[in-house]
Amino acid sequence: MNIKIVGLIIMLLTLISFTTDAHKNTLHPTEITIELALKQQSGEYHRPYVASWIESSKGKSVRTLLLWREQAKWLKDIRRWWRKAGRKDAALVDGITAATRAAGKFKLSFLAQDDDKKSLENGQYTLFIEVVRENGGRAIIRQPFSLNGNKETFTLAATNETEQIKFSVNPK
Amino acid sequence: MMNLKALIAVALTCAISTQAFAHSRWILPTHFNLSAENGEWIMVDITASNETFNVDKAMGADYVKIITPNGNVTRPSSTYKGHRKSVADYFLKSSGTYKLTNNNKPTYMTTYKIGEERKRIWANKAELVGKLPKNAKEIKTSYRFARIESYVTMNAPSDNFNTDGTLLELVPVTHPSDIAENEQVTFKFLFNGKAQKNVAVEIIADGARYRNDPQALKLISNEKGEINFTPTSAGRYLLIAEHQENTPDSALAGTQVGTVFLTFEAQLN
Repeated sequence: MNIKIVGLIIMLLTLISFTTDAHKNTLHPTEITIELALKQQSGEYHRPYVASWIESSKGKSVRTLLLWREQAKWLKDIRRWWRKAGRKDAALVDGITAATRAAGKFKLSFLAQDDDKKSLENGQYTLFIEVVRENGGRAIIRQPFSLNGNKETFTLAATNETEQIKFSVNPK
Repeated sequence: MMNLKALIAVALTCAISTQAFAHSRWILPTHFNLSAENGEWIMVDITASNETFNVDKAMGADYVKIITPNGNVTRPSSTYKGHRKSVADYFLKSSGTYKLTNNNKPTYMTTYKIGEERKRIWANKAELVGKLPKNAKEIKTSYRFARIESYVTMNAPSDNFNTDGTLLELVPVTHPSDIAENEQVTFKFLFNGKAQKNVAVEIIADGARYRNDPQALKLISNEKGEINFTPTSAGRYLLIAEHQENTPDSALAGTQVGTVFLTFEAQLN
């Protein structure tokens, strides 16, 4: 290794450490984990349409975390998510779509980033989980949380459509 | 200028004089908000009824127009007139906000009394010569226009709020597809193209048949011509607004009366 390369590495390291201080979240974004639990139902069962997203303190959707759906026709029934996020961005909807799931438990993890994959700034947010089932009901869960470098853990109460859900915010 | 008492007085007068004016009217789409990849059908009900949203008397669908998100004025693909309502079928092809209207044209109406009986003819003051019985009393001529309208949005909303400056108009400040329970809504009223204060407004929630109290929300527009209200529950609503001005300089009518019937939904939050 010659001196030039060592110099370059030192420069790069300096740059990285500087960047780390300035944009801490960019290099080590906070992780968000959700242990989603869709309730077993009796009788006629259609798999629920599910959306989970994050809204800013002003009620603006900043990130859709997941969307489990089938036909576009029924997206509007995920009422709040459709109004806040889905209807405005067809590309986003296509990009995050996954098939519906049967009742069960799902361990999910996400980075605390916005829809453009930029780290969310420190501040107050609300996590939303909306579950809508044909011939069944609708449940909407909202949980305020903060991004401020501290770990936060929540247990979200069961609804008609969901069992208890664990939600945590894990800074790296 | 007209306050709520005056509006009620007018409504009562109309109830006596003409059945048509006693009734609320509306155009009610099957959906106010749609998601679709390749377009979607809606149907709309057209009726005159005082029981929100139970239909009563069919109004014709001949005047139904649909203004597409890019401003084209289109017609339903088919209509049917029954005894209680008319229905119209329409296919929404492109994304955006559609404005549905069932407006007749502005008309002159003259009401008068023969003894205790109230009558009306569709004529202005200049046309009255030789048309009224000699014993006609309380002759009043008005120039009036009722707008019966609603908005339907498929996928992303767009602004489709052009005005034409004729009598009373409602301009949504809050986009109709953004209306949700427990969130404030603002609508603005124009009269002959200018912001109009003191417009009398009533907002009635769906399901009037199943309530003893109709629970009409009564509002008056402010200096900016605006009303603000917060729907406390999700559902469908009928807004009725009316405003009247005297026109002493007109050779054709003594008053101008503008009415707006807007159907909208407040979504679940």
